[in-house]
Amino acid sequence: MYNLINPTRIFHWIEKLINFINSIFFILLIVALTFALVLSPPDYLQGDSVRIMYVHVPAAWIGLSSYTFIALLSVLNFTFKIKNLNLITKSIAPLGLMFTCLAIITGSLWGQPTWGTWWAWDARITSMLILTIFYILFILAHKLISQENKANKISSIILIFGLINIPIIKYSVDWWNTLHQPASIKIAGTSTIHSSMLLPLILMLLVLLLYSALIFLMKYKTEIIRIKKKNLKRI
Amino acid sequence: MIQNLISMNSYGIFVWLSFSITILTCVLFYYKTYVTLKKYEKNFANELNKLSASEKRLILKKSKIATQVLASYNKSI
Repeated sequence: MYNLINPTRIFHWIEKLINFINSIFFILLIVALTFALVLSPPDYLQGDSVRIMYVHVPAAWIGLSSYTFIALLSVLNFTFKIKNLNLITKSIAPLGLMFTCLAIITGSLWGQPTWGTWWAWDARITSMLILTIFYILFILAHKLISQENKANKISSIILIFGLINIPIIKYSVDWWNTLHQPASIKIAGTSTIHSSMLLPLILMLLVLLLYSALIFLMKYKTEIIRIKKKNLKRI
Repeated sequence: MIQNLISMNSYGIFVWLSFSITILTCVLFYYKTYVTLKKYEKNFANELNKLSASEKRLILKKSKIATQVLASYNKSI
């Protein structure tokens, strides 16, 4: 397992992957934006405001899944003590924070025309706000604690503690009466979203995932260089 | 048609603002990440260049990452 995430091994592929993503990214972005803003139909109830879903939902998914992923990596790190996992979590966290904030902001812009309010202390929105706080605490732990081992330990504890919030975000719409509608897209079970809206949603998700991969690779490369620079004399 | 695309039946302001904020944030974040990466590459190359020729040769021989960072930095200047 260690060999698979060995920085020297990964570093070799980073440049190639970055170039590959750059080559297909803009074409996919234009196609996805055309579908999201022009070709997809307006909703029978929400009208054209439904188009906000094409940025709001993928941003929320990425924010949520990034947190779940880095929290699980922290559990693995506690168990197996693999230092590289810390570099991965540090590279993903700012991305997750950015997408969670985007989900909240675009959600607010969607809330005004559909619910008539910019903000409500609704279970889903509040739990997303708590997720943002956990991301900020994780990043602050790394920024404020100078001892790397201590920072890694404390930030891992923050991440693992915040895992409790993930099922709350996911099931808040089922457990409580909220302004949010229940999930329209289900991995197990029938989705209630029409294919003309599902396609742009998947395309926008793909674009934002590619963007996330690009940023992650650049941040991971930066982290590896930082470590290598620190250990230059020891090489 | 262009008018409809812009106004989106009076929802245009919300839709365009959502997309603009998302794209602008992504562009700024990409720029910041790129600048930081280049800064670290430059610092690493400078540290490497401060070493004596024999030390530098030894490090480049031992560390593949050091070789690649130096190559990437030299390409970007």
